[in-house]
Amino acid sequence: MVVDVTDAHRAFRGRSVISAEDFQKEDFLAVLDAARRFDPEGGPHKYEPLLEGRILATLFHEPSTRTRLSFEAAMLRLGGKVLGFAEPHQTSFSKGESLADAIRVVASYTDVIVLRHPMEGAARLAAEVSDVPVLNGGDGSNQHPTQTLLDLYTIRKSTGRLDGLKVAFMGDLRYGRTVHSLTNALLHFDVQLTFVGPESLRLPETLRTRVEAAGRLGPEVSSIEELDDDIDVLYCTRIQKERFPDPLDYERVRSAYRVTRKSIEPFGDDLKILHPLPRVDEVATEVDSFPGAVYFEQARNGVTVRMALLHLILGQGEDA
Amino acid sequence: MRGPKDFRLSDGTVIDHLPFGTAVRALQVLMLPRGGPVTVGMNVPSPTFGRKDIIRVEGVELSKVELNRLALLGERITVSVVRDGAVAHKVVLETPLEIEGILHCPNPTCITTQEEVLTVFHRIGDFPYRFRCHHCERTRSLHEETQAAVPNRP
Repeated sequence: MVVDVTDAHRAFRGRSVISAEDFQKEDFLAVLDAARRFDPEGGPHKYEPLLEGRILATLFHEPSTRTRLSFEAAMLRLGGKVLGFAEPHQTSFSKGESLADAIRVVASYTDVIVLRHPMEGAARLAAEVSDVPVLNGGDGSNQHPTQTLLDLYTIRKSTGRLDGLKVAFMGDLRYGRTVHSLTNALLHFDVQLTFVGPESLRLPETLRTRVEAAGRLGPEVSSIEELDDDIDVLYCTRIQKERFPDPLDYERVRSAYRVTRKSIEPFGDDLKILHPLPRVDEVATEVDSFPGAVYFEQARNGVTVRMALLHLILGQGEDA
Repeated sequence: MRGPKDFRLSDGTVIDHLPFGTAVRALQVLMLPRGGPVTVGMNVPSPTFGRKDIIRVEGVELSKVELNRLALLGERITVSVVRDGAVAHKVVLETPLEIEGILHCPNPTCITTQEEVLTVFHRIGDFPYRFRCHHCERTRSLHEETQAAVPNRP
């Protein structure tokens, strides 16, 4: 399906992006299609001054490397300017100012706001009070919609399609917001989803039921060795130590869900391995040279997709 | 000793077709007892619902806000206003698709617990309903929360 770019601009102009749950299939496709023109295909992103004179505010109440820097890079590559903060201690938030008041003020200085906040629903609230579009850069354990968009873009770019795929998720299935959002997004497409993780970090029951009701649930397995060897995509996430009260349990789980050259051998060279990063050691560095290890390209795609999104929201359709 | 007929209402409200197990929650929601005597029937046989709960309260008529709160507990709760011993007015409550300002989000990391903001919940699916917080997107089930509090549930 090819989405007309002018229609996409009409649909996205001035729109806040808060949750992948708000997206229909055509919304996902509109962003992915728009991202093609910004894809550098391996080199550095080109400077395309489509948003000259526009200002992006990055308000990050929590640490972030990829999300903040890739949003800033995307805006700078589009000729816009960036202001903001990477930690709130030197701002009026430390004086007890409400988020709603601060957003109203920042909205009067800028053209678009990216917000990361530890409280769930913060970006939704910000969008309600802001006069300019708000992009959710992560709200607690709830949503991180631009991560979902770049994950989808990476899957489609590396495999050539979104329909007819077998996708396996491995790692922290319970708390990983990237897993939840991407799972919901993939339900818009004809995919089979398999989940591999320790018992204590299984997929939330409501989400598992949704996948099952959609007829998309693949065989349930507890280790990478039990996966069908014809899976197309393996999406890995970090298992966090703090989820395990007993350090021994953590060590056991960590080694059981580690991706190594040996563990991916049965899947052949067509397998694509994704990881939202940062990784600790759940994907061995020896895997980096595997042709299907696309997690660094996935991070690069963050700039591509965010350029497309900023252009759709702030740009003029006729420029495209 | 007073017989059942002594509890017949002259002026007040009868709340019928409460889902079984929700009477106590309804009393809390409506901040009863107040006004006159309150009669509670629990686990009452019902041809339509199998079992139901009933509340009769003397000398109290419910406000619109109270009716809205009550509507969250069931799908076809009926409320009859009794005046001079006769039913003056009867309504069947419908649970709205969007609930503003009535429910609080139980998620301690929801932004609505920190900022002054009107809560909004979206009703999901058929009864027993789940309600999704518009802000943090977590869902809660008043029915499950209520049923969990019913002792010795068969």
